[in-house]
Amino acid sequence: MAGAAAFVEADNAEEIMARIETKSQKIESLLKHYKHVEALKTALDGSPPKTLDERCKSANWIVVHRAIMAIKDIEGMLNSLTAEYYDILMKYLYRGLSTGDEPTCEQCLMIHEKLTERAGLGCILRCLSDTTNTV
Amino acid sequence: MANSLRLYLACIKNTLEAAMCLQNFPCQEVERHNKPEVELKTSPELLLNPVLICRNEAEKCLIETSINSLRISLKVKQADELENILTKKFLRFLSMRAEAFQVLRRKPVQGYDISFLITNYHCEEMQKQKLIDFIIQFMEDIEKEIRDLKESVNTRGRLVATEFLKQFITNDAIYTEKLNVRHHSSRFSASPSPSLSNFVLRRPGELLQIPAITQLQIENFYGLGNVI
Repeated sequence: MAGAAAFVEADNAEEIMARIETKSQKIESLLKHYKHVEALKTALDGSPPKTLDERCKSANWIVVHRAIMAIKDIEGMLNSLTAEYYDILMKYLYRGLSTGDEPTCEQCLMIHEKLTERAGLGCILRCLSDTTNTV
Repeated sequence: MANSLRLYLACIKNTLEAAMCLQNFPCQEVERHNKPEVELKTSPELLLNPVLICRNEAEKCLIETSINSLRISLKVKQADELENILTKKFLRFLSMRAEAFQVLRRKPVQGYDISFLITNYHCEEMQKQKLIDFIIQFMEDIEKEIRDLKESVNTRGRLVATEFLKQFITNDAIYTEKLNVRHHSSRFSASPSPSLSNFVLRRPGELLQIPAITQLQIENFYGLGNVI
């Protein structure tokens, strides 16, 4: 049973990597057209990848990171983002804050403040307590 | 710069407000024991995701929560060697008196400068908001304290060097070059003395064995002109 699950995992990982590849290409084209919010939504779709594979998570993180760093107008972005994206965005913000890279951290801190105002402390707490779907 | 500090502290404050939901939870393994689960990490179901909030490579804050306890570890910005030493000594001084602070941990977590351990008992005795305000205030004050310590060390160094090297200044040097005799802080009330007869080692006409050093050269000799 465990063996079968591991096998499914490996297959799944390849699939997910492929999906992330297509996602990243789509996001690049969206960013070229200055559609930052759509790019972020596309990046957050299908996240977090339902797998324990670190490579998938890292690949997904890179894609989301690209979309987050391209955002200039935070208020507008949060206005057009629906509530279902708040939790997953918060998880990626914390991942961004743990990197220690200065521009990433600055951007993530700014978005974090605005997002907390909107989504409240519950969003943070869901992010902390969700040990199964980590990013 | 100030804005990024404000954002950093706001983020930590919000995270702490969300994470500080602690309740009493007796130990599951041993009867009649009550241990802070975040320290032991024996049961994964009792632990929440640890969160690392960095402002840049030098400053970060690690927040680990569990059902009955919360651990906050801070790494303070240390720009140079002197600040490194001052921070280590100062925070060690505080950590050794952890009893008085109640929420301080005696040893910082590996990789950090100082750690706090807040348990459910602290939350019962003290107000949660006040605890969070204390931590944030602590973070602000630490920076200021280290800066003040560094400034006082540099001031003392400059004064000591000036006083010591004044004995090598000659009369001629004083009155030909314009000297800026600085007024230092009140701890060392050094007033500019027009007659430096007690410092002059040679009388006019005597062979000079010690080169005349001017005030400006004193500053540059110790590299004290550009400190802080």
